[in-house]
Amino acid sequence: MGSMLPTFVIQALHGLVYGMLLFFVASGFSLVFGMMGVLNIAHTGFYMVGAYVGYTVFTKTGNFWLALIIAPIVVGLLGALVERYFLKKVHAFGHAYELLITLGIFFVIGEVVKWIWGNFTQPSRIPPSLSGSVHITGLTYPDYRLFVLLISFVALLALLYIFLKTRVGIAIRAAVSDADMVNCLGINVSRLFLYVFSGGAALAGLAGVVAGPFLSTHPAMGIDMLADLFVVVVVGGLGSLGGTFVASLMIGELQSFGVLFIPQLALVFQFLLMAVVLIIRPAGLFGEKI
Amino acid sequence: MKEITSRQWFLLIGAILLILLAPLFLKTVQIRILNEVIYFSLFAVSFNLLFGYAGLLSCGHAAYFGIGAYTTAILLKRLVGMPVPLAILTSGIAAAVGGVIIGFFCVRRKASYFVLLTMAFNQLVWALAWKWRSMTGGDDGIGGFVPKSMSLGIVTLDLSNGGMVYCLSAVIVMFFLFLIWHLLKTPFGNTIRAIKVNEDRPEFLGYNVNFSKLLLFTMAAFFAGIAGSLYALFQDFVATSSIDLAMATQVIMMAILGGTGSFLGPVLGAGIFVYFTDWISHLTDRWEFILGALFIILVLYFHRGAIGLIPKKLKSIFVSAKNQ
Repeated sequence: MGSMLPTFVIQALHGLVYGMLLFFVASGFSLVFGMMGVLNIAHTGFYMVGAYVGYTVFTKTGNFWLALIIAPIVVGLLGALVERYFLKKVHAFGHAYELLITLGIFFVIGEVVKWIWGNFTQPSRIPPSLSGSVHITGLTYPDYRLFVLLISFVALLALLYIFLKTRVGIAIRAAVSDADMVNCLGINVSRLFLYVFSGGAALAGLAGVVAGPFLSTHPAMGIDMLADLFVVVVVGGLGSLGGTFVASLMIGELQSFGVLFIPQLALVFQFLLMAVVLIIRPAGLFGEKI
Repeated sequence: MKEITSRQWFLLIGAILLILLAPLFLKTVQIRILNEVIYFSLFAVSFNLLFGYAGLLSCGHAAYFGIGAYTTAILLKRLVGMPVPLAILTSGIAAAVGGVIIGFFCVRRKASYFVLLTMAFNQLVWALAWKWRSMTGGDDGIGGFVPKSMSLGIVTLDLSNGGMVYCLSAVIVMFFLFLIWHLLKTPFGNTIRAIKVNEDRPEFLGYNVNFSKLLLFTMAAFFAGIAGSLYALFQDFVATSSIDLAMATQVIMMAILGGTGSFLGPVLGAGIFVYFTDWISHLTDRWEFILGALFIILVLYFHRGAIGLIPKKLKSIFVSAKNQ
C-alpha cells in the first residue's frame, strides 16, 4: 500500500489537470448552448487551432508566454468570424441547421490544419523554464502540469469574477435562463452572444495552447476532445457552468484512474457514467429539469 | 397521399430493369461507382427516415452502418461457409440491437440533446471498433472475408464478379426501399409525421411517442446495418472509417444534397455525392476540404436540396410519396 500511495496522488493530480483543461473547453460550449441553444461542434476545432497557433508562435519566437497571449486572440477572432458570417445566417432555419453548419466548419478546420501543418503529430516542446519537476516528500511532479493547474485556477477565478460581479456576466447568466426576456429588457443579446461565442472560443484556444506541450499536437486532437466534451456536458447538464465544472473533474479523474487500472476500457467507462446519469437524472447532474 | 399512376408504374419498372441490366453495358469501373451509389442510397434513406420524416437529426447514424459492416466482416471471416444472405440479415439485426440500446437513451431527449447523444454514442461505437483489437483488428481493419461464390438454392453467384455483387446489392436495396416506402404509408408512418410537426399533440391523443420514436430509430438502424453489410461485401474490407464522424456527416450531406423533404431525395443525393466525390478526388488531393466547404455552402444556401431545383412537372415523377 505504501508504494501505491504516490502513484495514487500523481494520478489524481493528472486527472485534476486534464479535468481543468476539459472545463475550459466545455464551459464555452455549454454557455453557447445555454444562451442560444446552439450545439457548437466546431468548438473543439477552436481548441485544436489554439494548440497549433500556440505551437507555431512558440517554435518561431521561442517565447511560450507570447504564444499564451496570441493564440487565444487569434482563436477568439476566428470564433467571432464564424458567429457573424456563418452561424447568424442559418439562425432562421432552426437549430438543426445551426448545428450542421458548425459540423461543416469543424471538418473544414480539421482539413485546413492538415493542409497547413501536415497530417502528423507535432513534436511536443515544453518551455525550458517549466521543464523541471517538483519534489515534495518523495513525490515528483512535472513543473509544467503544475503550471497548467495554476493557469487554470487563475482563469477559473477570472471567469467567476466576470460572471458574478460584472454587468456583462449578470446579463449572460440572465440570457442563459431566458434570452428573449433579456432582449426585451433592452440588452443587446445578439452582441452578448457574439461575446460569449468568441470568448468561449478564446478559452478553448487557451486550453489548446497549454494542452499542446503535454498532450501532443495532432490533427485528431479535436475529435478526441469532442467525445470527452459530449460526456462532460451530458453528465453536468447543458448550460450549467457549475455542473460542467464538476463533470469535467469527474471525467478527468475517471480517465486518469481508468488508464491506471483497466487501460482498454478507460474510454468505455465515461460512456457508462454518461448512460447511468441519463437513466437517473436525464437532465444531467446539475441541469434544470426538462 | 397519391396513389401511383400507371405511367409512374411504367417508369418505375423501366428504371428497375435499367438498374439491374446495367452490368451488361457499363464498364467495371462504372459498375463499382454505381454499386457505391446503391448501398449509400439505402443508408441515406434510412437516415432520412429519422431526419426528414420524424425531424430527429441523428449525427451518429454511421454507428449502425459500421455495426452492420463489422458484423458481416467478422461473421464471414470467423464462420467460414456461413451463407452470405444470413450474414447480411444478421448484420441488420445486430445494428437494430445497437439501435434499441442507444435509441433507448436518445429518443427520450429532444432537439439538441438528441443530436448530442447520438453523436456521443457514435464516438463510443467508433472507440469500441478501434480499441477491441482482438475482434475488429483495430486500425488495421478486417479484409479478405468475402467468399468466392454463394449459392441460392439452384443458382450459384460468383462473388468475385463485380457485376454480380452489384446486382445482389441492387436487388436487396430496392427490396428494402419498397419496404420503407410501404412502411411510411401505414398508420405508423402517419404517427411519425405527426411527431415531426408537434410531439405533444400525438402524446395527448394517446400515442406512445417515445415508443414510436424508438421503433423508428431501431428500424433506421436496421436498414443502415443492411447498407453497411453491403458496403462490407463490396469493399471486402472494413475499417474504423465506416463508423467515424466523417461517415456520419457524409450521410447527412447526402440527404441534404438530394433533399430531405421527399422519399427519393436522399437517393438522388447519394448519387450526386458519390459521383462528385469520385470526380473531385481525381482532380485534387484537397478533396476533403472541398467537401467540407461544399457542406457549409449547402447548409447556408441550398438546404432544400437538389430535388428542390427540379422543375415541378418532372418532380411529380420523382416525388410520389411526399412526407409533409
